[in-house]
Amino acid sequence: MNRITSPLCGITLAWLAAMPAAAEDLPPLTHVLTPIAAPYLAPALKLADLDGKLHELVSFKGKLIVVNFWATWCPPCRREMPSLERLRQQLGDSGLEVIAVDVGEDVETVFAFTGQLDPAPTFPMLLDKNSAVAQQWKVRGLPTTFVVDTDGRVIYRAVGGREFDHETVVKQLRSHLPAR
Amino acid sequence: MRRACTVWALVVGMGAAQADAPNSIDPASGAATWETHAHGVALRLTQILPDQARAFYISRGFSAADAELYATACVYMTVLRNDAAPGALDFRLADWQVSTRGAPHVLRPVDDWLALWQQRGVSESARIAFRWAQFPSDQEYELGEWNQGMLALGLPPGEQFDLAARWQVDSKTYEAVLTDVRCAPR
Repeated sequence: MNRITSPLCGITLAWLAAMPAAAEDLPPLTHVLTPIAAPYLAPALKLADLDGKLHELVSFKGKLIVVNFWATWCPPCRREMPSLERLRQQLGDSGLEVIAVDVGEDVETVFAFTGQLDPAPTFPMLLDKNSAVAQQWKVRGLPTTFVVDTDGRVIYRAVGGREFDHETVVKQLRSHLPAR
Repeated sequence: MRRACTVWALVVGMGAAQADAPNSIDPASGAATWETHAHGVALRLTQILPDQARAFYISRGFSAADAELYATACVYMTVLRNDAAPGALDFRLADWQVSTRGAPHVLRPVDDWLALWQQRGVSESARIAFRWAQFPSDQEYELGEWNQGMLALGLPPGEQFDLAARWQVDSKTYEAVLTDVRCAPR
């Protein structure tokens, strides 16, 4: 695949793609997930990643799955993304998976952005180019994140940016990890 | 930081509005921010300068002429947060009220912008980017939830306006009024 590999080019594209906002005094990321009062079966999710490989939510059944809808131009999405990787590093061996679904962008745009992240994401980055999946999941704005339990039910949501490796969030998630 | 140029009040028994300067001005861009907190909810408007909006939308596939229409429509990065409201809040942009020099001004719904872009031949991918970049037209925020997005007021550059933002918690309506907010200059 002919990807953009020049760091300068990537940074330039990311700057152009970013939503303008005052650099100082950004709204803080929050530290709690919203429990779903009546958990419901997660909608279907079958999308390709940056390499064109298809991923399907049902293939992760039995794991605790964090599904994050985002876009590179969305400031809180950009800020929370490293914490998703830190969360995966912390709980991945205990049965947690992270899936990031980029809404409405192409491979080159997403690749240019993720190349700047530290830590770099190791979880699947899926492309919802026409935003159909985001609409099926009833996403109203970005970022929006859902937590799907081992039975495939949505048990938490997070509208707006989060610090996903904050101890409060980790504690919420630990109680739903698959039994070992 | 000076006190927020706002008065928060229940719609029933609303207090008097207070004019004030922006809460902050970004030293790099010059974009001004108006912000207030009350009843456990935070509201923030930050000017998106026309050059910033042009760059954003042209990079997303808009033509210069199409981007210009939006960039000069008094655009704000709008943030609404439920930090500590007494319950889940619901809002609809259709309930928000903008007035300039005492006259009401109707906010253009996102669907109207999308129809305009389709009519002008803006590509589907650019329209998708536009739709998701906008502040949602309605949403529910539980405690700790929030969102941010672009909101175009449809006023000329440099225009001054008041904004009454409204939401409901347990069927009770709350209101925040930002006064003497200014659109970014051209």
